[in-house]
Amino acid sequence: MEYKAPKEAYKGLVREVTIGKGDKTLKVGGENILPLHFFDEGSLPNPPIFALEVLDIEPADRTPHLIEPFGDVISDPIKWAKKCEGFGVDAICLALVSTDPAEKDASADGAAQLVKRMVGEIKKTLIVYGSGDEKKDTEVLPKVAQVCAGENLLIGPVQKENFEVVGKAILDNGHVAIAQSPLDINLLKELNVKLCKFLPPERVIIDPLSSSLGYGIEYSFSLIERVKQIGIITKDSMTMMPIIANLGGECWKTKQAKENKTQGLLWEGITALSLYLAGANILVLRHPETLKLVRETIGR
Amino acid sequence: MIIIGENIHVIAKDVSVAIRERNAKVIQALAMEQTGAKADYIDLNVGPMKKDTEETMKWLVNCVQEATDLPLSIDTMNPVAMEAGLKFCKKRPLLNSASGKSDSKAQMLPLAKKYNCDVVISVMTDKGMPPEVETKIESIMETVSHANELGIPNEDCWVDPIILPVSTAGEGQKIAVGNLEFIKILQDVLPGVKSTVGLSNVSNGVPPHLRPILNRTYLVMLGRNGLYSAIADPLDEELMSFMKGELPQITDLIYRTMDGEEIDLSSLSQKEVAYVKTAKVLMAQTLYSDAWLEI
Repeated sequence: MEYKAPKEAYKGLVREVTIGKGDKTLKVGGENILPLHFFDEGSLPNPPIFALEVLDIEPADRTPHLIEPFGDVISDPIKWAKKCEGFGVDAICLALVSTDPAEKDASADGAAQLVKRMVGEIKKTLIVYGSGDEKKDTEVLPKVAQVCAGENLLIGPVQKENFEVVGKAILDNGHVAIAQSPLDINLLKELNVKLCKFLPPERVIIDPLSSSLGYGIEYSFSLIERVKQIGIITKDSMTMMPIIANLGGECWKTKQAKENKTQGLLWEGITALSLYLAGANILVLRHPETLKLVRETIGR
Repeated sequence: MIIIGENIHVIAKDVSVAIRERNAKVIQALAMEQTGAKADYIDLNVGPMKKDTEETMKWLVNCVQEATDLPLSIDTMNPVAMEAGLKFCKKRPLLNSASGKSDSKAQMLPLAKKYNCDVVISVMTDKGMPPEVETKIESIMETVSHANELGIPNEDCWVDPIILPVSTAGEGQKIAVGNLEFIKILQDVLPGVKSTVGLSNVSNGVPPHLRPILNRTYLVMLGRNGLYSAIADPLDEELMSFMKGELPQITDLIYRTMDGEEIDLSSLSQKEVAYVKTAKVLMAQTLYSDAWLEI
């Protein structure tokens, strides 16, 4: 008897989200199959998006093998971003760490101006992360959204403490939100429900928080996997959004990555690859050689 | 449905203070309120009760029995406190609870025989909580058969599948569905046994104002599958209305949701919609979030 492999067809669909505009436009998500289940009925129309992370201040304690590929541009975020473009990124992820009250507590205006200049000077789409301080982000992120109105940037983190203010600014100024919740599918859904009362769900990307290899990657993996399953298999509208895995920072915090270069690249590479397999649509890395390694591995 | 009133519970601060200070009024008020609300038993959840065990239990049991004629459910993990409580009960009490753990088999189950009372037996074993319906059934069959050997008949065993919060990281919903299945097949595997659950635990961790609808809906669902009794809040009027069959339309909507029917919400009242949505969460048809009624 001839063997016929079973073929699944699911009713859910990850929303296709558009970020950037003009030639910078990127499409994310859109799949109606589970991650890499190409053998099932359906498609995964958009390739994963790889971004390298740029900080708005010179990183104080970075390991030499992490800053080495960037050389002296690391003190200038715009030059740093341009250098990243040369490494074949799809997008740049700018982290506004200087605005953190625990860092420099830099002003919202200054941060917004930097984002605006960067949008003007780089050729790739921009992802902007605030410091993550829920309170400060209610000043910084709305300002960024206003100053860059109409650019359709991907802005976050929008958290349960500040989703009303930050989400509203993202809505009013034509951007896409990164909805972030702390590694919990029930909280993740709750935030999306609340956010989508005023923000169209096709303008939301989920950041479930990414942990690195050896430091809780299992949680991130199974959470991302589950978000995709619930969205695609059971068609739960509030989990049918693409996922961003912002993992570079988490990986390079580890002792193992700092110890030596090869180990660092592999640490970040394995983390990225794992979360991609789990279903992440956007991956934010720090080292250009990891980017190369991961692209080669998955052939994208 | 037999309702075991849960409101005398040492986790409640006023209760623990009242017991410590021997303030009979507070305790008796709670007992009377629950009696008035048509509870069938009064649960006395005294916790581990390590100090003045005998004397405190005697005081508490007598104090409650002065206020109500209802039978008592003595709720503690401490076998000394348990025996002290059972000893003073005038009506046939409920021992709450024993389990498949070795120490419970050795110390609690014999008390049920000695005092000729009904006994709650949970599915717990030395290995903890069995994860699946099948393993829960295996565990309870073994423990009930041990009880039978001690001379406790099936009819005196009130089996508890252990309810866990539905809101916990995905697993909670799976367990909620599993426990419905457990109650449904229980009579086939252990004919004659009774059953009970600690109902309110299903909504533990949920914002307080949203807890009652989860508790009520789940009790209706469990009741449909043959649940005999529940440790619950008899002061929740709507819960008691369901149990008296006063809300047949909503009950029917919950049943239809359990059967997987896609109900047209547009023709329903806001309250009916809320119950349908809650039943869907408890059947794991939709992923739980605290905003489940807002979608």
